[in-house]
Amino acid sequence: MTKTLLRLGHALVAALALGAGGASAVVDGITGPVFNLTARADYITAGDGASLLAWGYAPDDAHPGHFQDVMQYPGPTMIVNEGDEVIVNLKNALPMPVSMVFPGQSGVTTSCDSATGGTPGALTCEAPPDGTTTVTYTFTASHPGTYLYHSGTRPDLQVEMGLVGAIVVRPAGFDEGTNRTAYGDAGSAYDHEYLFLLTEMDFQVHEQVAINLMAGLPPETGVNTADFTSEYWFINGRAAPDTMMAAGAGTPWMPTQPYNAMPRMFPGERLLMRVIGGGRDLHPFHHHGNNSWTIARDGRLLESVPGSGNPDLAVSDFTVKVVPGNTYDAIFEWTGKGLGWDIYGTVALNPHTCTADTSGFDVVTREWCADHDKPLPVVLPNQQDLAFGGFWSGSPYLGAAGALPPGQGGLNANAGYFHMWHSHAEKEITNNDIFPGGMMTMVIIEPRVEGVTIP
Amino acid sequence: MKTTCTLSRLGFLVALAWGLAPAAHGAVFVQCPGDSNQDAVIDNPALHPNAKCMHLSGGDGFVTMADGYLQYIFGFSDLTGVLPEQAMSEGMLAANFPAPTIALKQGQQFYLSLTNAGMAIRPDLFDPHTVHFHGFPQAAPVFDGMPEGSIGINMGATITYYYNLIEPGTFMYHCHMEATEHMQMGMLGSLYVDPIQNRTGIGGSLAAPDLSTVAAKEGGAGPYGYVYNDGDGSTAFDVEIPIQLGSFDPAFHDASYTVQPLPFAEMKDKYPMMNGRGYPDTVNSASLPPPIDPETGESANGGKVSQPVSSRVTATAGQKILLRLSNLSVTNFYTVTALGLPMKVVGTGAHILRGPDGTDTYYDTSSVTLGGGEAADVIVDTGGAAPGTYFLYTTNLNYLSNNTEDYGGMMTEIVIN
Ligand SMILES: [Cu+2]
Repeated sequence: MTKTLLRLGHALVAALALGAGGASAVVDGITGPVFNLTARADYITAGDGASLLAWGYAPDDAHPGHFQDVMQYPGPTMIVNEGDEVIVNLKNALPMPVSMVFPGQSGVTTSCDSATGGTPGALTCEAPPDGTTTVTYTFTASHPGTYLYHSGTRPDLQVEMGLVGAIVVRPAGFDEGTNRTAYGDAGSAYDHEYLFLLTEMDFQVHEQVAINLMAGLPPETGVNTADFTSEYWFINGRAAPDTMMAAGAGTPWMPTQPYNAMPRMFPGERLLMRVIGGGRDLHPFHHHGNNSWTIARDGRLLESVPGSGNPDLAVSDFTVKVVPGNTYDAIFEWTGKGLGWDIYGTVALNPHTCTADTSGFDVVTREWCADHDKPLPVVLPNQQDLAFGGFWSGSPYLGAAGALPPGQGGLNANAGYFHMWHSHAEKEITNNDIFPGGMMTMVIIEPRVEGVTIP
Repeated sequence: MKTTCTLSRLGFLVALAWGLAPAAHGAVFVQCPGDSNQDAVIDNPALHPNAKCMHLSGGDGFVTMADGYLQYIFGFSDLTGVLPEQAMSEGMLAANFPAPTIALKQGQQFYLSLTNAGMAIRPDLFDPHTVHFHGFPQAAPVFDGMPEGSIGINMGATITYYYNLIEPGTFMYHCHMEATEHMQMGMLGSLYVDPIQNRTGIGGSLAAPDLSTVAAKEGGAGPYGYVYNDGDGSTAFDVEIPIQLGSFDPAFHDASYTVQPLPFAEMKDKYPMMNGRGYPDTVNSASLPPPIDPETGESANGGKVSQPVSSRVTATAGQKILLRLSNLSVTNFYTVTALGLPMKVVGTGAHILRGPDGTDTYYDTSSVTLGGGEAADVIVDTGGAAPGTYFLYTTNLNYLSNNTEDYGGMMTEIVIN
């Protein structure tokens, strides 16, 4: 375990140092409302280093944090504004027809409707595998929220191959600097937002497609998607430990997987989790640290009065039941309130004050003042009796680094609190027979100290 | 004045006993306030009315599946009341499935000591263990038991976790060390926290309880208990039972037993269970007899009872049954139904089903679906139900089996008198 996570060292530090290039306060993505994409084939890296042939949507244009003309898994997260007329132009460099569908969007029109490009398919207008025909999908982003898109052509095979992505529709009045909300009202306000697009892969499908193409056969020959058994599980197209590495340009050796999943927050902040069931299986997504409030499903606020902006039907839970094709917006908060000991250590250990506001939290650090200066109620075991995690700072206190034996810890630059966010079907936190890995990452609750910033 | 003086002197002695004297390397070291002999039993509970102590061992052992198959497991056992010098021998080969149920009360300070008793059958393993109090609110890594971000305890030593219990509800606990392996191997158990309303009654306080509604569980005149601090009695119940769903892959367990590579990718659970047993063992209200090794005909674990938890529910018509459901399978979602009886879900994720402003979101249903790491509080109202035997079972019908034996698995009986 420790060895595996130690390998992470440099890349993880890079992720934290890079800021915008790594973990970002807004989800990584490309802004519209016009998107030019080409479906392409390339290879992705599983968490154990294995290479899988994959298909994905590649951005035709240059976008910060993305690789132009490189297919990516998942496809580019398309970020648009409520009311935008969204236009997606799709070309196809794959060996079979491909398309896009937009669950949760209504009134989608296509170039097949106007006979200006593409071939009508079972679900939607398809782009033939000629690399030049452009198929256009147009819709109005009428509701803010979190959505997904995926191939509407042989989706049983093509989503497995990687043709899936996320859509974020910003509410009217959204401002990244001054007004961060998911749905336009205080009930969905947040300080930081992160995407968790959950998918899985069966490597045998990818091998079979690769063999077919080498043999000059149609790619789907002999592929039985009903026999699907996954060996790899992904968050935002990466399997742990890659989920915790830098994004985009920070990890140039993973151009086909530009997104990481490295949520960070300070105590007292509101973190918006945009969670999507992007594959075929259900996943119980357990977030250590605290319960969250699921405030919206499938891009609709959980409110008893439509349009009120008050998510009064929100559900508190410690695990988000992620169902294929569904999306969830959940607000996660953490303060350490009521632990019964001072998370910054006693005043004798760490001179600090606690000045309570009307809610009982320190005005700056958001420390829960009722627990101020209370010692840790137990003595921790001797070092020889402990096994140390790579993300353990060596101290129980937030922002304090303790002594660790040589070679232990080392991945927790700011002495933050690391909590695992993962599939609680623990079979899925492996990479094809190797533990740990898969559908797993960590949230970092960072100390509010000078020099530590979260965009 | 005299009392205060005694108390502070006791406090000082306690500090000497368990605050200032770190254990020697590799020793059992139980930390529990007012416990002079480290058996995790408070000498004089009146002096520590809100403290609660427990001592678990982590190690290996055996259980018997409902088709008679002997299964090697990792697990916890309860060492509360055992002196430290006996803890290692008592904890050896003592793994239970499920792990001992942990029943707590809001307002308590819970000191949970975990001693790693080692793997008697696998002396080649030096695995640390942890306790992850799954769902603990506002958790700090030091007591979260998630070893990648904190610490695990090595063989022969003890860690004491501290939890200030401010939220009621149905949680669960498990070892998080090499989680896929240790959880498939069985280090899983039920954990719940009673609400303070049990002791205050509705609208009362600890200082001035509303005696007519204080829970019978706490000696009051009210209903047996409440699930949450509902303020209106809507989560009241008369009978309660934690039911933890889970499942084992015998190929994985056998690979561990025989020191073979562990089949993570091939993992496929074949023994679906409630509280560590498949039907019909679920309805045996007694402990299962100690597991027998079929090759020798002798006890596989030194004669220790390792499956003490029944899932048989009995109630009188008209009573409300609280099912504290949780799922700790590492592979599957499971749906359960109580055929012929209405189910009302009043909580999920150790939280009353009410929105942020208190809006009621309870719902009536005839099935509940839980993935691993999910919990639900379900009240079954037997008013209007004819006396008889009803079944609580998974509607994932292929899991009504004990490996190759049909008709068994994840099912139990609710008997209404
Ligand atoms: Cu363990």
